[in-house]
Amino acid sequence: MSHKMSQPPSLLDKWIQENNELVNKCKQEKERDTMRQDHNQPHLRWCSYEFHKLLRKIQGIPPNTDHTQLELAVVYNTGVCATAQSQFSEAQLFLTQAAERVLQMTGGETGASDPLVCWRAVLKSVENTHLHPTVLYLLCLQWAIWLATCQLETIQEFQEKMSSLFETLCGGVGDGGISEARSKSSNIPLLVMDLRRLIELLQICTSITLGAERLTEGRSSEALTGLQAASSLPAPRALVGYTHLLSGSCLTHMRRPQMALQCYRKALETDSRCVCALYQSMLIYRQLGNTQAEIQALRLLHSTLMLPSATDPALASTHLLSPSSLLCSQSLSSLLSVPSALSVLHSLALKCLLYGRVSEGVEHYLDLLAVLHSEDQQGLHTQDATIPRLPELYLEAGAALLMARRPADCLALCSEVISTTLELLPEKVVLEEPEERREAETRDMEGENRVAVVLWTAAAYLLQGHCHSHLKDWKQAVTHYTRCINLVVKVRFKKRDFQPLIPSADMDVKQGNDQCVLQRLKGLSLAGRAISFTQTDKLKEALRDLQLSLQAFPECVGAGLWCGEVLWRLSRRREAAACWEKTWSLTTQSLVKNLPVYLQEPQSGPLLDSAELCHRIQELGPN
Amino acid sequence: MEGRCAVETWTEFGFLATSTIPKVRFGTDVFICTGSDEVCVFSTHERRLKAVLQLPGPVTDLVESHDKQLFYVACSTGVYCVNLQSLLHRAQSSSPDASSNPAELKISSEFLVIEADEVSSLLLVGSVLLTVCQRDSSWLVTLIKTPEQTPSSSYEVLGSFSLPLVSAVVQGDTESKTGRRRTSVLICLHSGDTAPLTLPHGHFCLEPVLFKLLFGVEAALAKSPVILCGLPDGRLCFLPLRLPGARLRVLHSLEQPVVFVGASVVMETGPGHAQCLVAMGEQGRVVLIKTEKGGSEDGSSLAGFTEGLVAGPVQCGCLDRNCLYYSTGSDLLLLDLSEGSSGKEGKERDEETSRKTLQSPASLNVCSVVALAEPTSNTSGEVQLLGLSVRGQLQRISLPARRKDAGLSKLPSTQVGRSIRDLLSAIGDVCERASVLKTAIKSKNQILRHLNQVVNISFLLTATSNTEDDPAIKEKPIRCHAMTSWSRLLQTDSLNLTCVLDNSSPYVLERGWTLSITVFPLCCSSAAREEISSTNFSFPFQNLNSGETLEVSLPIAAAGDSSIPMTVNCSLIFSLSSLLGEQEAANCPGLQSSNISLPLNTLTVDWLNALQLNSATARHKMVTFQSGSITTDAIQAFISSQQMRCSGRADRGGESGSTPEKYSASVRVSLELLKDSLVLKNSNLDPKVPKMAPESLCSSLIEWLLSEGPGGVKMGHQGDMISLSSSAVHARGPNGATVKLTAKQINVEEENTEKEERLTAVEVQVESSSIAAVCGLHHAVLSRIQIQQSQISEALGVGMTAGQMNPALLSVYQELRQNPLLII
Repeated sequence: MSHKMSQPPSLLDKWIQENNELVNKCKQEKERDTMRQDHNQPHLRWCSYEFHKLLRKIQGIPPNTDHTQLELAVVYNTGVCATAQSQFSEAQLFLTQAAERVLQMTGGETGASDPLVCWRAVLKSVENTHLHPTVLYLLCLQWAIWLATCQLETIQEFQEKMSSLFETLCGGVGDGGISEARSKSSNIPLLVMDLRRLIELLQICTSITLGAERLTEGRSSEALTGLQAASSLPAPRALVGYTHLLSGSCLTHMRRPQMALQCYRKALETDSRCVCALYQSMLIYRQLGNTQAEIQALRLLHSTLMLPSATDPALASTHLLSPSSLLCSQSLSSLLSVPSALSVLHSLALKCLLYGRVSEGVEHYLDLLAVLHSEDQQGLHTQDATIPRLPELYLEAGAALLMARRPADCLALCSEVISTTLELLPEKVVLEEPEERREAETRDMEGENRVAVVLWTAAAYLLQGHCHSHLKDWKQAVTHYTRCINLVVKVRFKKRDFQPLIPSADMDVKQGNDQCVLQRLKGLSLAGRAISFTQTDKLKEALRDLQLSLQAFPECVGAGLWCGEVLWRLSRRREAAACWEKTWSLTTQSLVKNLPVYLQEPQSGPLLDSAELCHRIQELGPN
Repeated sequence: MEGRCAVETWTEFGFLATSTIPKVRFGTDVFICTGSDEVCVFSTHERRLKAVLQLPGPVTDLVESHDKQLFYVACSTGVYCVNLQSLLHRAQSSSPDASSNPAELKISSEFLVIEADEVSSLLLVGSVLLTVCQRDSSWLVTLIKTPEQTPSSSYEVLGSFSLPLVSAVVQGDTESKTGRRRTSVLICLHSGDTAPLTLPHGHFCLEPVLFKLLFGVEAALAKSPVILCGLPDGRLCFLPLRLPGARLRVLHSLEQPVVFVGASVVMETGPGHAQCLVAMGEQGRVVLIKTEKGGSEDGSSLAGFTEGLVAGPVQCGCLDRNCLYYSTGSDLLLLDLSEGSSGKEGKERDEETSRKTLQSPASLNVCSVVALAEPTSNTSGEVQLLGLSVRGQLQRISLPARRKDAGLSKLPSTQVGRSIRDLLSAIGDVCERASVLKTAIKSKNQILRHLNQVVNISFLLTATSNTEDDPAIKEKPIRCHAMTSWSRLLQTDSLNLTCVLDNSSPYVLERGWTLSITVFPLCCSSAAREEISSTNFSFPFQNLNSGETLEVSLPIAAAGDSSIPMTVNCSLIFSLSSLLGEQEAANCPGLQSSNISLPLNTLTVDWLNALQLNSATARHKMVTFQSGSITTDAIQAFISSQQMRCSGRADRGGESGSTPEKYSASVRVSLELLKDSLVLKNSNLDPKVPKMAPESLCSSLIEWLLSEGPGGVKMGHQGDMISLSSSAVHARGPNGATVKLTAKQINVEEENTEKEERLTAVEVQVESSSIAAVCGLHHAVLSRIQIQQSQISEALGVGMTAGQMNPALLSVYQELRQNPLLII
């Protein structure tokens, strides 16, 4: 040993110096990177490589008590760099090797394949030696790897032991460690990541992941306790925000929406970029039926998502190990998922339209179309299919424009749809029974498309008819309604049991969506044409169309009222009164929310005043 | 197809690894990547290689930006963005003289913009860069937003789409079959009404109905370009770029690696949109995708897929207005995609062929094309293709103009006759060109073979000259020996030297070789003769095969010339200019003076060679022997003629005053020593040879002296005469003086020892009235005997131990030193 003593100190010093230089460089680069917002982190790879090189040099000689402190520090540094690059298996390998070497040196029992057993052996072998705190560094790293690879059981199994150890360790770092470090500052190998920060990060990330897992398993109250405890831990804002957010989700599961809202509010207060909290609050408002609040939340959500910072990872960290690399749980990411900005914008536009904020809704629709046609592809390539298909979006926008009394714009949008689909219209198309069609859908996209193309084009014609009737251009209106009718009648039903095809009011709209759409199209277009006919005094044609319309779509309020009106004008006043009364007896809401907005009854065009009609009936007298 | 294709080779790279099909991007600059680390940039304007880019890994694809300023190179480690102009500028400013050479540009990691492994294809759509790569279980198409301004700012991934791999069995199968790494084919399709005016490479404008039928109403409504990707597993998938919620979907499957995807107008009048989408598989499956009006039972339009099969393997393809060109490697073929021979008139034919099969392809007789550019047609209707051959030649292939009335049967007979004449004359042209090329190749081969012989000979001769320390054993396989003879012409006697060049090497000395013989006096040290009259003789010869000899004669001295003894230097000279023909040689003035000179051997003509024997009447040449064996043969004869075994040693000659000549000199040689040595040298002989009679011994000695010269020069005369004239010869020297050469056996008493021993010796006596003749002859005799002795002593070293040999030699030299050999 004595002859060695002259050599190793210089080598040791050299290595310590090399390690410390690398650590300093790594920290500097990290600061520069956070300034530049560079996510590529080329320097990290370089650092990792250099640390690994140093480690191999150190491990090139047999385990040596003088070197162990340095060696374990370098193992820690190398492992942290590898973990930061998500190279968990490599980091794990470094740890296993280091543990083996420690055991070899201390004469402990080597060869345990189970990491838990191995770590217990290591801890036991270094107990009450100067190596004990250094080994705890590595244990922290091990914890990080377990967390990043979602080995929660292992963590829980080891937790009690670890938490007690960390208390001692944190104390040591706080007082003794630093004074020790100051006493021989150049001789202490530096660490790339501060241990106290790492432990804090690990604790809160473990709580969040555990909470998410429990929540997904349905153990909401258990999860809530853990999360609420974690919310008081010292941690980055974003992570604390997550604890509040997940607590809110637990409360939602426990059917306490108001308390959940409080939690979401807290999450937002903690971290203003926590879009998920906004989204979840919006969902609660929707559930509670608070439309104004829902629209407000949607608007906020959209503007937050459009912020440039929204695309940045919310968990950008000044430390080497970012929280996002530790939060890899599948259930957590599904809990944190937020629809795309485009989808939020569509929801916002539709909500505005449905709840009477027409001009606002129109603006949102126009924004939406602008985004779709912009060269900037930002946010377009998301895989969520929550927004409707493009022609439907056009038609919705068109309907919104008509509602906002901008028929010319609506006409333009509809003609765009028509020009696209016109050449593809089939001579006839068969609409199959829902069950059969569902199978066919997966098999044959084209057949499905052909029905859809017909329905889109028909709807576009219908909207154009509405526009023309709004402009009181009755001739054009008749033309367009007729085109719609012609298209609609091309669709044949194919049904196994030849039941009469009168869709009932209680028909599940979702199930027979295409059929329902078809019937509505038929009813609305016939009614529209009839109204146009009445304006040009073609009452017979009008009556025929209105009756056909009511046959196809009995709940159509406009058709019922106008049918009465035509009958009245044809001096069939009793029938007219009966017709009106029947129509009023239908308890229909003004807007059916499950149907596309362009299939709602037009709010423009010639209208009949129900009060005036009542007056007429009263004049008619009871006989 | 009438007429022929003209192929014009622009440049030749002479590389092409066969591991991948090369990807070539044609434009004003042609980018060629062959699967190695290099990208060659060829300028079509300047017709030269502009730059070679060296990337850190194998290059799989590259794409040029729309403004041609930047291009992106996909390499095994990622995508690199290169600004060629600025790089070239930088390279030129650093070394301005190198502007004519292609710049070698090393693309380091500073140009790396996207880190991705194994990107197989690239495409640029607007500012979005698409990459296709194969991952473990899926194909991945990634959209990356390229920055507008600075190339160094960040590249943002907009999204990525994956398509699961199909069973790898099919793929592995084809891979092993062809041994090539396959890449995907990526193109971009625009709907006809929304397409930009100018379409970059790989972008096509598709007829709107077909576009909608294939890619859906939504893509058309969004005015979105659609990416079409042909994968090595045979699937054609598409992706609308600007459609929210779009997915990568499969359009069709060729069930063999997709080699080419393109779009063609096909019979559209005017500059219409492409009405036909064409995809081609490696084994020759072709699918044409067109709109079929009223194809379905409900009368709507449908996308019609027409499949066909042509003979594979398809290496590459390209499309023009209505033709598909493709190369199988052994031929370039043309597939006419138009329906029927002419569009308008054959409406019924169209109806028939709309359910059609493909027409059969026509051969264009251009082989080994591995990459093709989109064809261009010039004003005369001639279609030009740019192709890259498997040997790395960049070729422009000009197709003959297609006539409007291309239907063959409709040609009037006069036109048929004319086209046959055209064809015949074209065949004649080709024949002529081919024969010219053949001759050129033949002559080049000849020259190479010739040069090979020359190099072989040079090595042979220089190699043996290096081991010259033992010339008797290692003789040069090509060497000269010579004979002298007197001739009388116009009352003047002159001494001629007949030089024989003997080629015993296995090589042929061909046209271009010259035997050069330089003759100059041996005693050139005399200060009086400043200008040594060396004479040079050159004998060019045509062909000297292995084992053949060349005999040349040259006069070396007239009677009365006293410059004998002379040295004859023989060498072979090869003139490089003779390799080429006269015209070519004239073009290379530097070559005229470049010769290879190879020394052969050196001969000496001495007085003995130059003697004119008086009694000689019949002149006859002795049989020429190889100089190596001559020595031994002559000695053998000399020995066998000796009947009596004599003992003794060399006796020195004193003067014999009775002779009428004024001067005389003599040399005494101990017979015993000489003979013993000779017996030892020719160890295969019986040592107890019958003893030679003294008389015959002397005459043999004279004969040997007269016949054999140092360095292989012989005297071409007498022969039988000597044996008759016993041991005395009367002759005339070259200076006209009469000389007498006698040899007689004498007994000499040992003078300086006590022994009463008598030694037998042979005394050679030279007598003449001319002191020059005596000196010259004496020198000649002496030098021959010395040479003989030295040869023998060398030979002694073979058979005797040093202890035996040394006393013998020592005694000889002692005698020579103590007793003057020459007494006047």
